[in-house]
Amino acid sequence: MAFEVVNKKVVRAQVSQQSPVLARRGAMLGYTGQVTFRPLSRSAGGGGAYGTGESASMMASEGSGSVLYGHKGLYVSVIELTGDSLTVEADRLLAYDANLQTSVEMIVQGGVRAAVRGVATGQGMYTTRISGHGSVAVLSHGGTFPLQLTGETVGVDPQAYVGHVGALNIDLKASVGMRDLVGRGAGEAFQLHVSGHGTVYVQASEKRF
Amino acid sequence: MAVLTASKRVLHADLEGDSVRAASGSMVSYTGKVDFKSAGMGATGGFRAALKRGVGGESLSLMTCAGVGRVYLAQDAMDVTVVELTNDRLMIESEHILAVTDGLQLDVQFAGLRGMHTGQGLATTSVTGTGQCAIISEGPLIALAVTPGQPLVVDPDAYVAGTGQTQMTLVSGVSWRSMVGEDGGEPYSLRFEGQGIVYIQPAER
Repeated sequence: MAFEVVNKKVVRAQVSQQSPVLARRGAMLGYTGQVTFRPLSRSAGGGGAYGTGESASMMASEGSGSVLYGHKGLYVSVIELTGDSLTVEADRLLAYDANLQTSVEMIVQGGVRAAVRGVATGQGMYTTRISGHGSVAVLSHGGTFPLQLTGETVGVDPQAYVGHVGALNIDLKASVGMRDLVGRGAGEAFQLHVSGHGTVYVQASEKRF
Repeated sequence: MAVLTASKRVLHADLEGDSVRAASGSMVSYTGKVDFKSAGMGATGGFRAALKRGVGGESLSLMTCAGVGRVYLAQDAMDVTVVELTNDRLMIESEHILAVTDGLQLDVQFAGLRGMHTGQGLATTSVTGTGQCAIISEGPLIALAVTPGQPLVVDPDAYVAGTGQTQMTLVSGVSWRSMVGEDGGEPYSLRFEGQGIVYIQPAER
């Protein structure tokens, strides 16, 4: 069931008995109907998330009614999943259908290089994967824009990377030269090179939150 | 010729083997084959310009994006506006420059005493020539016309840029009321006279 976009920073979700919604704890702005909010002791990614740093406290919205979600005036993008999977940082999740499966994954695809990427970009070594059918509301600073990839490679600033859908290869490219070491670089020493088939979401800012 | 197009808070720079200069670190994504290289202070004029910047406190660090493809540029989710210049001059605060196309020269201009009061330094940047300049602002940029006999007064903290033949004067509203803390909170304002356009942002630094 899709989230309704109220404005750039707020989404409305219809909650019913069959389809509860999981949301970031404290992100409820208002609701109508009979809805209860139950904190989840487990984090977004389930029990496996303990000690990985990849966790955000979530709550379940259950009952029947509609709930408004928003957080800190950040922009919200709704991403519809139709059987594919979204990879995103847990702290960017505002709300998602409880019928979606989540898991915390270690960034292992690229081995040591990928681990270095996580550390270098401050994203940690774990990431959250959401898959199934449903909608996900993702937080960003300044809104996201999608880049469709059909086999080509795009470069993305690690701080501006939000998440991606599909089977994409992400590789950290460092082009640190002498100029960067003496502080005269272009400010783009680290780039993520994304290739494959899918969509990568980029935010219009290099600020973290 | 490289083309700049603004899409809300993101600037698209389409390169066809040429280059644009953009604020260092403002690339959020790119497609194609593009190289990023520091363009230093960005100003033509070398040492003299650098000296003026140092004295004036106008700091601007640019990079050259060269190659073939599209570069997405953005900074702190600020709104982007593209201004077309045809053999014209745009006076702009350096922190509001996101990108400029080739064919535009950047230089430092002394802004006089204005900077001392507004905390923006003594210098401002002039963009001259023919091309496109992408301006970032907190909130959508507002263009206000200045015509002879119709002077415009703006808040120095909201002032972003201006074009045309205008004279800028700093108006001080300091009186005994300010001394006792009973002023309206607008001790200084900028007054523009002449013919031109002044750009302001709906936020005060």
